[in-house]
Amino acid sequence: MNGQGGRGPVLAIRDLDSYYAELQILRQLSLDLGDGEMVALFGPNGHGKSTLLKAVAGIHPPKSGTIQYRGREISRLPSEKIVEMGVAYIPEARNLFPEMTVVENLNLGAYNRRARKNLHRNLDWVFSLFPRLEERKDQVASTLSGGESRMVAVGRGLMSGASLLLIDEPSIGLSPMMKKGVFDAIGHIKRETEVSILIVEQEVDYPLKLADRVYLLKKGRILFEKPSSEVTKAEIEKAYF
Amino acid sequence: MALGLTIIYGVIHVFNFGHGIVAVLGGYFAWLFMAELGLGLIPSILISLVIMFFFGWLLFKTTINPLLKSPNWEFSTIIFLLGMGILLENLTLQAFGPRVKSIPPFFEGSLNLGFVWINWHEISLIAIVIGFVILLNFFLRRTWFGQAMRAVAQDMEGARIVGININQTFGHAFALATAVTGFSGILLATKYYMTPNIGWNWMVKGFVIVVLGGLGSATGAVYAAFIMGLAEAVVTLYVGSLWVWPSWFVMFVIILLFRPQGLLGGRTL
Repeated sequence: MNGQGGRGPVLAIRDLDSYYAELQILRQLSLDLGDGEMVALFGPNGHGKSTLLKAVAGIHPPKSGTIQYRGREISRLPSEKIVEMGVAYIPEARNLFPEMTVVENLNLGAYNRRARKNLHRNLDWVFSLFPRLEERKDQVASTLSGGESRMVAVGRGLMSGASLLLIDEPSIGLSPMMKKGVFDAIGHIKRETEVSILIVEQEVDYPLKLADRVYLLKKGRILFEKPSSEVTKAEIEKAYF
Repeated sequence: MALGLTIIYGVIHVFNFGHGIVAVLGGYFAWLFMAELGLGLIPSILISLVIMFFFGWLLFKTTINPLLKSPNWEFSTIIFLLGMGILLENLTLQAFGPRVKSIPPFFEGSLNLGFVWINWHEISLIAIVIGFVILLNFFLRRTWFGQAMRAVAQDMEGARIVGININQTFGHAFALATAVTGFSGILLATKYYMTPNIGWNWMVKGFVIVVLGGLGSATGAVYAAFIMGLAEAVVTLYVGSLWVWPSWFVMFVIILLFRPQGLLGGRTL
């Protein structure tokens, strides 16, 4: 799970504007992510957190502005090229393949050419992070519980050998025990690899502990940006309103 | 025939009305190689399949792919495919002539089971189809190519997320379906005769089979095909062959009334 030999910061987003039809969601948004960093993006629902991640992943391209990934402009590239370059998007809706088994879903995570050679190694690694998935590896995805399918979604993202993970609300709708499991895994990834992580969350505690820096997004703009050590949960929650 | 239809529907979610002619074309190509160029049976079939595959792919790239970008692409594509079907049929008529052609059966002679005689040829057809279905299934599950198609069929957004090129996969599915259908055309041609117009008949039957099996389910299509084949034989035996076509349509209406999603419907590739 290596980075690609950084040329410039992992992500440099400037003045991003994004729309859904006529409705403007992101307004002149700017954000940075350094190599190996974990940045948490907090903010109320509907204010553009997912839209930002989708813009970076190439799934919902922005109207204007720039997104540089390791010095290369990616805002107009198709999603398959962005995946090939080492970016993995882990959606809130999971988007698993319902009639395939856990292991088939994970294998498809390694669809891009770069990841195929490391498929077995990555699969072993994902199973070590989520032993429960190994137990259920031949189980059909549509029969998994909420927490388990969330784990498969994260695992599938890791299978791509990405050096930048875009994680969209991984703990939403999960039981406290499941939440801990997911964040423990994310913590492992942060500590043991050079993968950079941009995580979007409603839940504040775990991400605040794990992240290096924190951004607050409100109404499509960045309200503030601070190192995580200089910010408290109360401050963040107050900014929501 | 039904398999080809269901692949296209399952992956692209569009119904191909031009499908019938594709089957016929497959048969014609094989005939061409055999009769004109004097090649053996198996090489002719293999070459036809390859040609059909590329033909389908080329057709997709040049015509449907651009259409995908417009709004309402589902409708435009269906209408386009219908029109294309008619065009191709007439082109085939021009190229090959209106006289009936046929491909010789694979085996002569029949098997005596006591109360009924069955042609070896028909037995071999069944064996071939079963073998082909198993092969296709294997192919869908064990190659990246096939897995990409299954992924797009099951969750298009998920497929995009793992880096699958959706349009390219559409193209592959269309090409594959074309080859499969061409193959079915060849098989059908050995049993029946071949004219450019016969494609519509086959397609209607294929359509009913696909609906019975569940749109988008390949396994369903196979089961349904066997059921309908059996039903057709029973009707011919007990009621008379004039009732065969009406019985297809009666079956169709019954399915829509009681189980519109088909036997294995709602499931995908």
